[in-house]
Amino acid sequence: MDEKVLSIDKTTLEMLDKAKKDGVKTAWDRKAELKAACGFGAAGVCCRNCNLGPCRVSPVPGKGVERGICGADAGVIVSRNFARMVAGGAAAHSDHGRSIALELYHTSPDGDIKVKDEKKLMKVAKRFNVPTEGRDIYDIAHDVAQAGLNDFGRQMGEVNFPPTLPKKRKEIWDNLGITPRGFDREVVSIMHSTHIGCMADAEPMIKMALRCGLADGWMGSYMATEFSDIMFGTPKSIDTEANLGVLGGNSVNIVLHGHEPSLSEMIVQAAEEPEMIALAKEQGADGINLCGMCCTANEATMRHGIKLAGNFMQQELAVVTGAVEALVVDVQCIFPALAKLSESYHTKFITTSPKAYIKGSVRMEMDEEHPLQTAREIVKAAIMNFKNRDKSKVMIPELKSEAIVGYSTEEILNKLDGVVNSQIGPMQTTKPLGDVIVAGVLRGAAGVVGCNNPKVQHDFGHIETIKGLIKNDIIVVVTGCAAQAAAKAGLLKKEARELAGPGLKKVCELVDIPPVLHMGSCVDISRILELVGSVANQLGTDISDLPVVGVAPEWMSEKAVSIGCYVVASGIDTWLGVVPPVTGSPEVVDILTNKMEDWLGAKFFIQPDPHKAVDEIVNRINEKRKKLGI
Amino acid sequence: MNLYQTVFTGSKQALKVAEDLVKEVVEKKGKDCKVAFPDTAYSLPVIYAATGKKITNVGELEAALDVVRSLIVEEEMLDKLLNSGLATAVAAEIIEACKYVLSDAPYSEPCSGFISDPIIRSFGVPLVTGDVPGVAVVLGEFPDAETATKVIKDYQSKGLLTCLVGKVIDQAIEGKVKMGLDLRVVPLGYDVTSVIHIVSFAIRAALIFGAVKPGDLGSVLQYCSDRVPAFVNAFGPLSELVVSAGAGAIALGFPVITDQVVPEVPTLLLTQKDYDKVVKTSLEARKIKIKITEIPIPVSFAAAFEGERIRKGD
Repeated sequence: MDEKVLSIDKTTLEMLDKAKKDGVKTAWDRKAELKAACGFGAAGVCCRNCNLGPCRVSPVPGKGVERGICGADAGVIVSRNFARMVAGGAAAHSDHGRSIALELYHTSPDGDIKVKDEKKLMKVAKRFNVPTEGRDIYDIAHDVAQAGLNDFGRQMGEVNFPPTLPKKRKEIWDNLGITPRGFDREVVSIMHSTHIGCMADAEPMIKMALRCGLADGWMGSYMATEFSDIMFGTPKSIDTEANLGVLGGNSVNIVLHGHEPSLSEMIVQAAEEPEMIALAKEQGADGINLCGMCCTANEATMRHGIKLAGNFMQQELAVVTGAVEALVVDVQCIFPALAKLSESYHTKFITTSPKAYIKGSVRMEMDEEHPLQTAREIVKAAIMNFKNRDKSKVMIPELKSEAIVGYSTEEILNKLDGVVNSQIGPMQTTKPLGDVIVAGVLRGAAGVVGCNNPKVQHDFGHIETIKGLIKNDIIVVVTGCAAQAAAKAGLLKKEARELAGPGLKKVCELVDIPPVLHMGSCVDISRILELVGSVANQLGTDISDLPVVGVAPEWMSEKAVSIGCYVVASGIDTWLGVVPPVTGSPEVVDILTNKMEDWLGAKFFIQPDPHKAVDEIVNRINEKRKKLGI
Repeated sequence: MNLYQTVFTGSKQALKVAEDLVKEVVEKKGKDCKVAFPDTAYSLPVIYAATGKKITNVGELEAALDVVRSLIVEEEMLDKLLNSGLATAVAAEIIEACKYVLSDAPYSEPCSGFISDPIIRSFGVPLVTGDVPGVAVVLGEFPDAETATKVIKDYQSKGLLTCLVGKVIDQAIEGKVKMGLDLRVVPLGYDVTSVIHIVSFAIRAALIFGAVKPGDLGSVLQYCSDRVPAFVNAFGPLSELVVSAGAGAIALGFPVITDQVVPEVPTLLLTQKDYDKVVKTSLEARKIKIKITEIPIPVSFAAAFEGERIRKGD
């Protein structure tokens, strides 16, 4: 393994040591075993889209082989590969959104999944033009679900957009021809056009990628978030704890990992049942300790304050503690390595979704009709596994941090109401946020999102970026694994305002919030779009005029690429801390980091050094402020 | 112009006026000429509280201009903005001190000018007990005398101490508002800089009642913010100088409510165009709660009328 320090997180380093002693491998070991990555793949100039190939062309223009067998040059190959990453990412969010929409369609007053937030249902019904007057809420819910589902497979017209999408932004998309039609259609379109002998022009190829991304952000992810709130409740600020130290020494530890909230919701319910708690005690445990990883953790913590065990690169390390009875997963970002790893411990690695079976795991498929019953069986299996824990192999790091989570857009508006003078009003708007940005008390706002990536030091990019931004009076909202990094580093505490610049500190005191706001899972980035769109509408501008940015310091997944595309296409400059596989085509690089600004008023910035990225962001935000005259 | 630049510009204007006036004083009176406000043990209270140094003569007053310069750092961050506001306050005190050097009685009826220590001490107890629930600093000009009178009388009936600066004084006179310290309506002066006399009131409250050490500016600001329930109503067109003075008020924790369109800052800088709501807006912004037992009588009833004298003509 590399000698350089792999993580800034102490629990991670402790557990890596233990993994070494236990003789088990982690992602970092596998990364090292792979040695230097292939330069053709890393530059995006390798194509396997037909059986004429594989072809690889030179990443240096004018040197070596310039075209593949079909004649595709580097620009074509890179743009096609890039577009397929977007399609992959968008498809993941699409299927996530679809499951949620189907669950909403199947809600019933006596079913396991009910409508919990009627107010939000009414709000969403309005935007889908579903009548609500005098109707049964479940009839409304089913109509809303149907309307949402239609957008996935829509063949005519365009998808429904939320009212938070500014008119000017929509016009830009229409003019560029990137207004999404059906969500699934946009994914299929990319798969079609990237087929051999189809699209062979980088610009329109990237535009298709943007269109697909937009279907993700403003439709699929947006809907997943809205419908999840309707069924499971809209998050409100709530206290929690983060890092591997949240695992209980003498509790049945169940780690929820994956993405879809229905799994975690059902397990949270099951684990709270008195019979389950009694059973755990019968087995000699103090109780049941639920904690989460990745976005399922974010969903469960936002709504229930479930503790955050860790982020993406820590998923194996949770098992290495030797204290996890069950690692329950559904879909996305689950290392297949967990199956082999859990063989070395007593941990039951339970897969629950037919979309993500993993060889070597214990399959306990969620029964769509009776999900709570399945959840009970899973919890029971975990409890019964407690006696198999080998105490001599247990080592739980002592480190954990307090955090406040649950900042949905609704909760942010509630908090903002606290600083509105009731004689002036209005209530329930983003005006106070717009005001402090216009006045300059806050320089701007940044969404720090994304994954972990062993190409960079674990959590370093997230934490340095966030600290740098808040110090410069830029308020930070976080989602996904970036949010968990912030939670672990103590940045989601109110006390963290001491690390903020004077303006942000003042705002945090007045509004009574931490300087970094956890807005949820990766689909919940739609909450950020909602917030930013609302501010733009409030100020009567377009999103690209606002001093706001997106940052993905340690991104790794295709979902992150799709997210990056819709964020930029929404008019928000986006910084990438890990270089995407596009460097083999100067043309594609020019489109992403230059031309896009002419199209969209925003572009990509690639900057692996978080400190330099912060400087660039501050400069860019000041430029935008100047243009806006604020 | 963005809010920060407006404040910086106003502060630099205040500095320029102060520099010119000090120059005039040096030429006319010499550097050894004595500088003092009447009846105070705190020299120039704002400068004393900020630096811990007492200014005794014109030479020292000239040197105090450096305090103003050091507080103006033109960087768009909130702490710099608030300091720039304080710079305007210090410059205003220098300007007002010059007035007292150039003339034995720079202020005359109805204006009070500098407020002496004994008055502050006498107001201290009712401020602490909540008998005086707040201090309203009303500055500028209302659209008409009727509106001005209504607002001022409303504050008066609620027992607040109201200080007037600028043309609002004439409007209050026109509206037949009865004024005087005992009636808790005090016209300070017609120049914007005379607003410093209520600032130095608040700051001396910190030194006298809060026993804050002079020079400990952070504690002075904290005391004012926590204990002196003051706020500012700035009406009519706002010059850069007034806006920068407003930033000084915000540094002391006093919210500013205006009828003008400004870049608002929640709870600190607010626009209220409805004059009927000005009083309620201001009290809410400063979190002043008044326990009212309304007695249905045909005349205003409040502690503020306790010292009222009924003259023959009335």
